[in-house]
Amino acid sequence: MSSNSSHQARAKRVDRIMAFSISTGGLLIIGAVLAMLLFILKESLPLFIPPQSRAAGTVQAPRSSGAWLDESGKTVVLASSTEGLKALRFPEGTPLSVPAGGPALPWRLATPLNPRGESLVISADGRLSLGRLAWSKPAGENDPAQWTLEPKWQDGGAVDSVPEVILHFRILEAGGLGGGSSLRILGLQQGALLWADSSLDAATPLTWKSIPLDPTLHPTAGLWSLDGNNLFVGTSEGRLLDLSPETGAISSSADFGEPIQSLGFVLGQSSILTGGAKGRLTAYQRVRVKEVFQLQAFHEFERLGGPVMGFQASQRDKRFLAWTRSEAVVDHLTTQRRMFSSKLDGPGFATLAPRGDLILQANEVTGALHLWTLDAPHPEVSFGLLWGKTHYEGYEKPEYVWQSTGGTDDFEPKFSLVPLIFGTFKGTLYAMLFAFPLAVLGALYTSQFATPRLKNSIKPIVEIMAALPSVVLGFLAGLVIAPLLEHMAVEVFIYPLVLFLLAMLIMPFWGRLPQPFRNGFGTGREVLWMLPVLILGVWVTSLAGPWLERVVMGGSYRVWLQSALGITYDQRNSVVVGFAMGFAVIPIIFTISEDALSSVPKSLTSASLACGASPWQTAWRIVLPTASPGIFSATMVGLGRAIGETMIVLMATGNTPIMDWSPFNGMRTLSANIAVEIPEAPLHGTLYRVLFLAAFLLFVFTFILNTVAELVRQRLRRRYESI
Amino acid sequence: MSRLAEHFRRGSSFVWLSGTLLAFCLAMILGLVGYLAAKGMGYFWPLPLVQVQTTSGPVLGEITGQEAARAEETAKLQFHVGNRDVFGQDFRWIPTAGLPAAEYPKDAVLIERLEYGPFIGRITSLSHEGQVVAAGPTALPEALNHLAEAGRLRRHIHAVEKGDVGDLNQRMERLRLARRKLEANSDAAGLQKLDAKVAELQTAYDQLQTSLEQSRTQAKAWTLALQAADGQTKDCPLGSIVRVIPANDMTFFSKLGVYLSRLWEFVADDPRESNTEGGIFPAIFGTVMMVLVMSVLVVPLGVITALYLREYAKQGWLVRAVRVAVNNLAGVPSIVFGVFGLGFFVYGVGGGIDKLFFPESLPSPTYGTGGILWASLTLALLTVPVVVVATEEALGAVARSQREASLAMGATKWQTLWNVVIPSATPGILTGLILAIARGAGEVAPLMLTGVVKLAPAMPLDGTFPFFHLDRKFMHLGFHIYDVGFQSPNSEAAKPMVFMTAFLLLVVVVVLNLFALNLRRKLRARLGGSTF
Repeated sequence: MSSNSSHQARAKRVDRIMAFSISTGGLLIIGAVLAMLLFILKESLPLFIPPQSRAAGTVQAPRSSGAWLDESGKTVVLASSTEGLKALRFPEGTPLSVPAGGPALPWRLATPLNPRGESLVISADGRLSLGRLAWSKPAGENDPAQWTLEPKWQDGGAVDSVPEVILHFRILEAGGLGGGSSLRILGLQQGALLWADSSLDAATPLTWKSIPLDPTLHPTAGLWSLDGNNLFVGTSEGRLLDLSPETGAISSSADFGEPIQSLGFVLGQSSILTGGAKGRLTAYQRVRVKEVFQLQAFHEFERLGGPVMGFQASQRDKRFLAWTRSEAVVDHLTTQRRMFSSKLDGPGFATLAPRGDLILQANEVTGALHLWTLDAPHPEVSFGLLWGKTHYEGYEKPEYVWQSTGGTDDFEPKFSLVPLIFGTFKGTLYAMLFAFPLAVLGALYTSQFATPRLKNSIKPIVEIMAALPSVVLGFLAGLVIAPLLEHMAVEVFIYPLVLFLLAMLIMPFWGRLPQPFRNGFGTGREVLWMLPVLILGVWVTSLAGPWLERVVMGGSYRVWLQSALGITYDQRNSVVVGFAMGFAVIPIIFTISEDALSSVPKSLTSASLACGASPWQTAWRIVLPTASPGIFSATMVGLGRAIGETMIVLMATGNTPIMDWSPFNGMRTLSANIAVEIPEAPLHGTLYRVLFLAAFLLFVFTFILNTVAELVRQRLRRRYESI
Repeated sequence: MSRLAEHFRRGSSFVWLSGTLLAFCLAMILGLVGYLAAKGMGYFWPLPLVQVQTTSGPVLGEITGQEAARAEETAKLQFHVGNRDVFGQDFRWIPTAGLPAAEYPKDAVLIERLEYGPFIGRITSLSHEGQVVAAGPTALPEALNHLAEAGRLRRHIHAVEKGDVGDLNQRMERLRLARRKLEANSDAAGLQKLDAKVAELQTAYDQLQTSLEQSRTQAKAWTLALQAADGQTKDCPLGSIVRVIPANDMTFFSKLGVYLSRLWEFVADDPRESNTEGGIFPAIFGTVMMVLVMSVLVVPLGVITALYLREYAKQGWLVRAVRVAVNNLAGVPSIVFGVFGLGFFVYGVGGGIDKLFFPESLPSPTYGTGGILWASLTLALLTVPVVVVATEEALGAVARSQREASLAMGATKWQTLWNVVIPSATPGILTGLILAIARGAGEVAPLMLTGVVKLAPAMPLDGTFPFFHLDRKFMHLGFHIYDVGFQSPNSEAAKPMVFMTAFLLLVVVVVLNLFALNLRRKLRARLGGSTF
């Protein structure tokens, strides 16, 4: 008895343990599976975190006219006309050693250091020098005390006169072997523009050439274009000019609306930042509109409180720093977002570290240096950019563009999801156009007219269809159907018509056949009779197609499409995708529809037939409407499958993210885009997160579709039970 | 007119129309499967070698395609002329207009080589170490005599390279990692011991290399002098010849022999020429391994979930909602699972494992990169709904009387489940598993993100400790199709092979599916009731 009871106790204990572990296990698994959604969302959310900035310290330093921040933010180099270069450790403020040498002090003229650490100096003895700063850091060494500053000075020869200010200089790296670099300098002297060319050769003296310009224009700022052949000049009349330095001929101009105070480039040197004397901040670009180059204002930023004193561009992305006497801001070109803004306590200048993550402001009166850090991992993406039109560099107008990577480092990434969503829906639409009629009418036939034996052999065939791996379908679509369609597009398009005519023609002949024969062999077995008709259709089409192409389209349908409709034909196009993806979707719609149609209560159909309706009338007017929620639900599930299908689209289209409804070109879908791009996406980079966002969207789309389908189906099931 | 209207109204033609559409669907499926089968299975049959005289000289090859005349284009024949190293291209289109009658020269041979694809032409002579042994018509039989031996030697070299040399390399790599660890701990004695071991391995390695070098020279001893159709000559060592097929001088049975030997090579050999020739054994093996690991993972996940939902959870709207949600997961696109697998398993979990257990080999990742474990886990997640649905159905179908009988005898709930319910639900669970396997075997998109590669250097299962390498990348039939068909530079030559791979994948997936669905249908028939 006692052993029995201990046995029972053990059984109870096991029972409790199992109940507990299965419940927790089950809950955990369900939780984990549902947490997938949260994980994917979590990976994409940092895209929308606003930029964070923080004050990183203040240091007292001698007054200077320019500063260069190192990438690490641990050192700053100051340049001043009287004392030359000075290096400080940040944020302690302890001085670091600077090698002797360089142009003779005091400098008669010096440009502020740019983010690359370059400055042009005219020394006390009237010689031009180009200085480039660099820290030499032993590998793995993090202590700035162990670093050495290596300024490289290049002597550009004697200068015949010293202008009031140097507006801009550009280093032109010569191509080819042994090609040195040369320098183009733009200066301002008593309101007139001067320019000079220097081969950075100590022996050749520098001579200034003046630029003939309309005397009513008063230049205030200027920039060399990327190739050094053009000048962009801003005037106090508020005109931005694109002119040739040799002749002063103005090739295009734009009206800015207020006196231009300063000009600057964004990384890539094709967007011209324009700052007004009243704080207006606009980006211009030189873009070809209708075969003519124009200066076009394409981004407008939030106004600043006073005259914009200067710009500094990040060397990593499209953000830039602009400052006035009383504030410094960092804006992003593409998104026009203000990433950083800070009020200053006095007149001075500001500078941006090469990576754009550190901002230094120097007070000219007190000599205080303020440093801020700016943490913005994904500045190139904003909600508006993902969903709206954006005006990108080099584009005529705002557009939806997806182009995540380019050939150069200064490439502007374009992350609009709209072309991808468009592509997804385009592919889905063509697939449904093909699949829906075939699947629903096929299911109607199978459920209402086919004999039970036929029905039992149709269903396994459809199951085979459902089991076909999508990679096999995609392979066939890309390598067999696409070339075939290209070859016989006309035939493929008239084949359905031929089949329809044949099906309609057969009926009158069929009616003449004796009734017993019809009942014995025909009714319920029409499908089998139609199989040879399909082959007949192929034969008819193969005759009619070339004839049609010759007579109506003048020999070649591609030429005809191009000339008559203005459509170009791509080999891997939407028709191919529609066909292959339709093939994948048909069995899904077919199976669910067939279930719904077969489950329509017998009483309804019998009543209809008893009232004298023909079988087709019963099927069309009674069965189909009754089962329509089931067919709706089948369509939703099919849609879900088509939206998420990856391999077929990847293999059967050219994967170009264009927005065009034409059936003869391709598309890029959300899913194929993920498959194409995620292997190249750096972990936790912007592209990586945008692709996770795309995956999240796919998840949500399909989940909603499937849930709606399931709810509709459950409701229909209850309705059938109540009839 | 009224008869037509009446006819239209009663709609018998529409019955025919809907029948036509269905017939079209069925024809499409059967046509597709038949096309794949014919293209794939036909690939191994030796085709006759056809020689035609064109204006630019004689062309010798297999006829692999034709195009009818259309618009400005004339009718053309596609010749597989082979000899990629001589001609630069494998295929040529030749207009049929004005072409003289085709010849079938008896002395034409197709020689399958290890490199540059097949050679199509004639054998002029056979030499041994530079001395001509046989020339003219006697060269072929003589060459065939020595071919088997050369093949054995080649396989031996290959086995040594892959087995022994690979083994040594792996041990070296392990020692290198151990050295990094010891260096980090500055263990001088350990380092000395390690150096001795390295030296030992190095001598073994050198010995192996000398013997390999000997075998390699031996393999080059016999050479065939070959001549292409246009007269260009080429020497080919016997050791790099897989097969010599005098296609126009063969009986049906010798052709059958070639067919079977090619078929065997396809399923049992390693790929050559960046996957466009040879076999696909690693891809088959990788697919099977991945599916097996997935099955091991998916069954407990699915069964526990189903048990909870059906037997333990309090039935209410929440459980209904969870059930709908789990079912709907089956409709979530597979690429989404792939993205999750990449972000969570590969970078998240894998990266974590690397930091904890394999810091010595960082920054090169061990688990923090795609691998068979992560791919299988991802697919297990993808297929969990299938198993859950099937198991729930099976659990629900167990007769109430049986449960009640068991409970009335005093058995606890768990005892009833374990001894009564689960045994009778086993066929249903199995059905779910087979369906899951069929779905998993055909998926490619998530694998592309979680560990499948074009060419895996080593199998996930081999003779070196710990034998089963869950961190390794693997090859997969489906990815093989995508890669060879779409990413290969020579995809035209590889197309027949892709057809065969596709057919194989199709057969595996369809057979699994039909098997599972039949099982399910039988179960349902036993229980009765509608499926909707």
